Amino acid sequence: MGAEPPANKSTERSKKKPPFPLLAPVRSLLSGWTGLAFWLLLLLLLALYPYTGVSSVALFVGSQIFVLVTLASNWNLIGGMTGYVDFGHAVFFGIGAYMMGILVTGTPLLISPEWGFWQALPVSGVAAALFALLVGLPTLRLKGPYFSIAMLGTLVAMREIARVLRPITGGGVGLNLPPLLNRLGDYYLMLAVMGLVVSLIWWIQRSEFGQSLIAIREDEIGAEMRGINTTLHKIAAFMIAAFFTGIVGGFWAWQNTYIDPDVVFVEARTVEMVMMSMLGGLGTVWGPPLGAVVIYYMEDLLWANLFDSHLLALGVLLVAIVLFMPEGILGTLGDRSSTSLGRLLSRVGRSK
Amino acid sequence: MDQLLQALVSGLLLGGFYAVMVLGFSVIWGVMGVINLAHGEFLMIGAYMAWGLFRFFGMDPFASLVLILPFMFLVGYLLQIVLINRIVERPHLMTLLVTFGVSIAIANLFKIQFTSDPRNVAVAYNGSVQLAGVTFPIVKTIIFGVALFIMVCLHLFLQRTRLGKSIRAAAQNKTAARIVGVDINRVYAITAGICIALTAAAGAMLSPTQAIFPFMGPPFTLKAVTITALGGLGRIPGALMGGMVLGVTEIFVSTYVPGIGTNLGVATSFILLVLILVVRPQGLMGGLRPIDAEAE
Repeated sequence: MGAEPPANKSTERSKKKPPFPLLAPVRSLLSGWTGLAFWLLLLLLLALYPYTGVSSVALFVGSQIFVLVTLASNWNLIGGMTGYVDFGHAVFFGIGAYMMGILVTGTPLLISPEWGFWQALPVSGVAAALFALLVGLPTLRLKGPYFSIAMLGTLVAMREIARVLRPITGGGVGLNLPPLLNRLGDYYLMLAVMGLVVSLIWWIQRSEFGQSLIAIREDEIGAEMRGINTTLHKIAAFMIAAFFTGIVGGFWAWQNTYIDPDVVFVEARTVEMVMMSMLGGLGTVWGPPLGAVVIYYMEDLLWANLFDSHLLALGVLLVAIVLFMPEGILGTLGDRSSTSLGRLLSRVGRSK
Repeated sequence: MDQLLQALVSGLLLGGFYAVMVLGFSVIWGVMGVINLAHGEFLMIGAYMAWGLFRFFGMDPFASLVLILPFMFLVGYLLQIVLINRIVERPHLMTLLVTFGVSIAIANLFKIQFTSDPRNVAVAYNGSVQLAGVTFPIVKTIIFGVALFIMVCLHLFLQRTRLGKSIRAAAQNKTAARIVGVDINRVYAITAGICIALTAAAGAMLSPTQAIFPFMGPPFTLKAVTITALGGLGRIPGALMGGMVLGVTEIFVSTYVPGIGTNLGVATSFILLVLILVVRPQGLMGGLRPIDAEAE
């Protein structure tokens, strides 16, 4: 079955032309500066969107989509570009959410600071980044599936720890944040965060830093031989991804006004991040945002029609994407620029 | 002293359960190199089946193994043929993602079917026996006995029977096994069937001792990984040893660290796991294939 000699595979691959030649102009437009220009134009249009007199529900939907896009892009930085598939990325979301919850409510143990939202938000991100440093130092030394499992373990363990540390986190009862409704503010805040994160990913992919990350993904030992400080690069990418995930977590806690271990440290959120990135195209700049939007509307549809079973559908969908579309939408449409993780996935045969 | 002895006995009894719980996971990983992240969910299915049979037919959880084992063998066999055999040759990441998706789907399917209310199987012999100043909970002692029995059976099966030998051959060298005429796909499917049946059996045995709910799986998956890292892949004595080490560690942490209870068991096993993997990537007893450049 899969025991063909390796020489066959490489010739077969080089002969294979990218499908959908008609889309070639679109592909070239999306790459490089024009892609960024389109992105900025889209951001501008989205910034003007509230002026068309939309309801607060639409603003809420908007901020939810921006949250998903930000999460997907963050996950893509570590999972798609660096090739460290993180099954526990929701842990940073949870850390950020809890940091926000603790700082604005002031739990008995801490000398209740009762900070405002704007003071607490950066701290949520910094806390998540520091946690990433702490966890990443041992776990980023692990390879392949071991890293994934160790991160999944971090997530499960943090959920239990949050439940046990009752004086700080409120245990299983959770924390109630002051309810302050500001849909317009939420919308613009998340629009700004999303714009920043996606532009950052765009810049990273073109920079030497990003190329080093891709080199690490393709061949870590080789990258190290070429003089790339792999540990530093991996930790940096991990911390950047964790920082923004923490910010999003803090924002989410504020918007949701209630957190407990079971709503913030959930595997389903990680699955969402993995799926959005995979659906769009792992390791591409524009794939994860596209995947996030598709998944949001798909979930919305499922939520409306099947209500309870949307997570079930999510799991089935993940299996289907991995089996039938491992290169994602952009990869399937022929964007070969940086989807090689997906291509590697679809290739038959294990590592030596 | 009594407390120490009690903790030791409790830990060993728990370890026996862990050993039988990990067998399925460890053999699947060892034979076909698939890390089954849906392991805990199959355990959960077994526990729910035991609950259902107990609740509606008054069947004893240990007696229900007679029904659960063949049924779950079939489930595992079909799952392997339909899904996993298609991707078993691909990089680890792919099987990891697929089993992750399967685990989410199963857990949520059960949540829809049975809600997330915890279920209990209250057997009549839920007491305990005092022996030389040490308490032996009856159910856990039976679990320990059955676990040892299952392990001996599996060991004999793998060592003595023709089928067991072809499973071991497929694990050692797939190409060579194929050359000498082993039908790899069938062997894999049978292996998966046996492993998933064993996992569900472990879940069924667990049902009298703890609440059953749809999201009970992931901690067990994590513990299975830890034990496999401790004891090595697909080795029955290794599984027993790893299970004992984890069981005793967990009980000692919950006995001697005040104010924490058993909730931190998962955290304990996680820290143990990361320590082992970082210090010895090949596992404590060796045998974990060091996966370098997995993306290749």
